[in-house]
Amino acid sequence: MRMWRNFVDLGAGLWTTLRQLGRISTVSYPEAPLNLPPRWRGRPTLTRDPDGDERCVACQLCSAVCPTRCIELQAGERADTRRYPLTFRINFSRCIYCGLCEEACPTLAIQLLDEFAFSKQHHADFIYEKDALLIDGTGKHPHYNFYRHSGVALGDKNKGEGINEKPPVNVRSNLP
Amino acid sequence: MKHVFYLDGQEIPFVPGQNVLEATIAAGQDRQIPYFCFHPALGSLGACRQCAVKMYSHDSKHPPRITMACLLPASDDLQLVTLENDVHTEHREIIELLMTNHPLDCPVCDEGGQCHLQDMTVQTGHSVRHYGGPKRTYRNQNLGPLVYQEMNRCITCYRCVRFYQDAALGEDFGVFGSRNRVSFGRLEDGPLESPFSGNLVEVCPTGVFTDKVFRHDYVRVWDLQQGPSVCPHCAVGCNTTPGARLGTLRRIRNRQHPEINGHFLCDRGRYAFPYVTAHSRPLQPRLKGETSRQEAVLRQLASRLEEGRSGFLGSPREDLQSNLGLFALADCLHAPFAAVTSSWAEALAQQCLALPQAPSLQEVAAADRIVVIGDLDSIAPMAGFAVRQALGRGARLTVLASSRTGLARKGDYRPLRPSALRDQVAQLADDPCLQGGRVPVLLATAETLGPSGLYALRKTLEKLPANARAGAFVNRPNLFGAAYFAADGHTERLQQALRQREINHLLCLGADPLGEDWGAGAWRTLSSGLEGFALLDMVDSATARAAEALLPVAAFPERAGLFVNYEGRIQAFAPVYQREAQVLHSAVHGSGFPDAAGGMKHPLGPPSPLFWLGRLAELLHVHEAWQKRLDFYLHFLCPAAPDPDSPGVLLPDTIRARFEIATLPLPPTVGPEQWELDIFRWYGGETLADTAEDLQSLAPLRGLRVHPDVQAASATLQGPCGQLHLPVIPCEDMVQGVIAIDQEGFAELGLYPGDPVEVTWEQEP
Ligand code: SF4
Ligand code: SF4
Ligand code: SF4
Ligand code: SF4
Ligand code: FES
Repeated sequence: MRMWRNFVDLGAGLWTTLRQLGRISTVSYPEAPLNLPPRWRGRPTLTRDPDGDERCVACQLCSAVCPTRCIELQAGERADTRRYPLTFRINFSRCIYCGLCEEACPTLAIQLLDEFAFSKQHHADFIYEKDALLIDGTGKHPHYNFYRHSGVALGDKNKGEGINEKPPVNVRSNLP
Repeated sequence: MKHVFYLDGQEIPFVPGQNVLEATIAAGQDRQIPYFCFHPALGSLGACRQCAVKMYSHDSKHPPRITMACLLPASDDLQLVTLENDVHTEHREIIELLMTNHPLDCPVCDEGGQCHLQDMTVQTGHSVRHYGGPKRTYRNQNLGPLVYQEMNRCITCYRCVRFYQDAALGEDFGVFGSRNRVSFGRLEDGPLESPFSGNLVEVCPTGVFTDKVFRHDYVRVWDLQQGPSVCPHCAVGCNTTPGARLGTLRRIRNRQHPEINGHFLCDRGRYAFPYVTAHSRPLQPRLKGETSRQEAVLRQLASRLEEGRSGFLGSPREDLQSNLGLFALADCLHAPFAAVTSSWAEALAQQCLALPQAPSLQEVAAADRIVVIGDLDSIAPMAGFAVRQALGRGARLTVLASSRTGLARKGDYRPLRPSALRDQVAQLADDPCLQGGRVPVLLATAETLGPSGLYALRKTLEKLPANARAGAFVNRPNLFGAAYFAADGHTERLQQALRQREINHLLCLGADPLGEDWGAGAWRTLSSGLEGFALLDMVDSATARAAEALLPVAAFPERAGLFVNYEGRIQAFAPVYQREAQVLHSAVHGSGFPDAAGGMKHPLGPPSPLFWLGRLAELLHVHEAWQKRLDFYLHFLCPAAPDPDSPGVLLPDTIRARFEIATLPLPPTVGPEQWELDIFRWYGGETLADTAEDLQSLAPLRGLRVHPDVQAASATLQGPCGQLHLPVIPCEDMVQGVIAIDQEGFAELGLYPGDPVEVTWEQEP
């Protein structure tokens, strides 16, 4: 009885092998491109909001959460008081594509897109500056614009004009 | 006897008179009680209802009840609980109510990372807002260059008004509106007028008030390098925490010192730090005005010193070790040395040091009879703050000054000409303004009172009860440290040597004898006998521009050192950061491996004065002797050097006693018809602070302040060292017959406060 079971198992294994005959399952990466799932975690990029302005507000949450401490940025202030990253750099020889920065980012600015394997001659070339990180699209979130939700006034958005906001109160009023 | 109560079964010690929350915070157990409106320096209000605890009664008759910890006086064996569900529900619900209208701002809010509201919200576990309706909004006000307002974030804890109106006695800030529309600010947009406005930033537990100067070069607190330092902008010596990143200084925060500044700082201390990053700050050694290699400058300077015809000039603006280092070098080379630039300032320093032990600011705040002489707020603002605290506790204040100063409006004001101050001070012992008090305190601005006035103050003090105290203030951090060398007419000897051509070269440390230092007028004449001079300094000054050799030195947060404050308290400060090149773009700075990448730093910063002096001693082959002398003096002055984190050590009385022999300096004689000079300063003005742009945008106009009964558009003043033409600024608050000008003006004229002056009034500006 036991012996009979062994023969069946052996036969099943052999059948699995024989079934593959004639099929090509080796991917000739990198010549052939990979078909990556949509939630693949490649290297981080900086995206723009639907209005085309950079999303990042230089809040430094991504650099704080990064376990390899490979993100460094310096905040700047534009003439219209909008905070933006004056410099933003990621050292890709340290980044481990963990996606924690993406998860921490309150403005959905930093997003892990699909590039993940790249090689360079020098370590220093792995340090991507803001011009290399900032892409021209919204990434995975086409509609979100942080400043529409936050309470600060900015550019053409005045106090009380954000999403779910009342008009500014009249502080001179003493009405009950 | 040790008093304790129990919080969740843990013993919490307390001092009778404390409330439960206060004792819990002091014991470091405040993670268990969230709170907002309580502030250790402002007390309890019971407005936010956040600090709930459950109290079990001693007997079993009364059921346990929930009450506010900040309003519950601590008593022995009190049984309190926070770990029960109903307490926790109360905490969570209150914070949810406070957060109903709170904007989604943390990413763009400068408070983030140091926000009390964030901490408390996370601590109580409130994470989902049940309210889905529209949120209340406010328009912001522009409150000037120092404080930024974002009113939406307010939780109406009232800490800001309680600080601004009740503690700092400011009048231009308050609460407006009613019910859930209350708003905190000024009646109209405009800069905050109080010299303590910057404290709003620290007092406000949310991001309503944030630091506007920091905002322009912002970095989250978790990325800041911070360390213990001491404010270098006046003789009070408040404790500070500078914060730096990537080799640049970003902000100054208060560091609590219970006996000096408590929880606060003045705006000069908080906002004057950009002297460190000022464009004009010298960073490279210079030889004859050209940037040069450090060795070349050192060698040139050493060869000068080798000629043996050099004098040495220290400064009350520099720290103790640097002055001692210079003194030791002068000693090794048998050269004349002085620590201050004029005999008048030397006498002033001596008289300051001869005063008996000055009261700490904590003691000033506890005084009940206070006499202030001169404009204290503009010299040592935190001393003025301590006076305000005393006023809040019911003290009686008398102000003797030649103009109605900010403090004068809060107490009895006696308008006096500077020459009359001295006599008035001499008679204070029998004056009604000091009678009937338990703790009389006299506070003087040293320069207004002058050496002879300080002498009179010391004599008055001898006649007052033994617990009477006096303090004298200057806007230099280390006059008391520099005063040790002021004992024997050193300045006169140095100037004499120069006059008689015994020396033809001068090595100055942090001094500006050709610019605005006292006695600069005389130095300008004397400098014709100089064949060149060298300067070690951290700011650009008239002297720095004229110096043959300029050696830049590290700013105070960039190095270690000791300051001696007005009480004779020796306080240490530690290097907080290293100035370094900021790698802005790694591709441009090829080798630049940023900090985050574990890369190289590029030290850029100039070294400390001691480094330069040590190198000079090496080049002159006297290094060993120099080091020995330096160690000896240092050990003599402070046998146990304090740590930067300690409260500091007071100078031994034996050292003070050396100065008590200081005799009565000759007061200037002024006729009743003559115009008298007094000094005009403002709270943000000081040599280093003068290069801080944001703060200086508030500076008052330069001019000559007189009572408006003078009909003139401008005036020319005549002094022994030159003349000065200034526009006239009529000023209601001035006493008649007195002209107030800034220190630069005095330097130009060669006169001192209280001196008579010749004026020509002119109708054209
Ligand atoms: S977390 Fe997002 S918004 Fe904040 S600094 Fe990083 S990328 Fe910018
Ligand atoms: S005040 Fe605090 S909780 Fe509110 S937005 Fe600012 S950081 Fe966030
Ligand atoms: S502005 Fe700040 S300190 Fe003032 S009440 Fe609001 S939250 Fe409190
Ligand atoms: S009072 Fe003097 S020492 Fe204190 S913060 Fe102001 S300037 Fe600095
Ligand atoms: S801290 Fe007790 S009620 Fe606000």
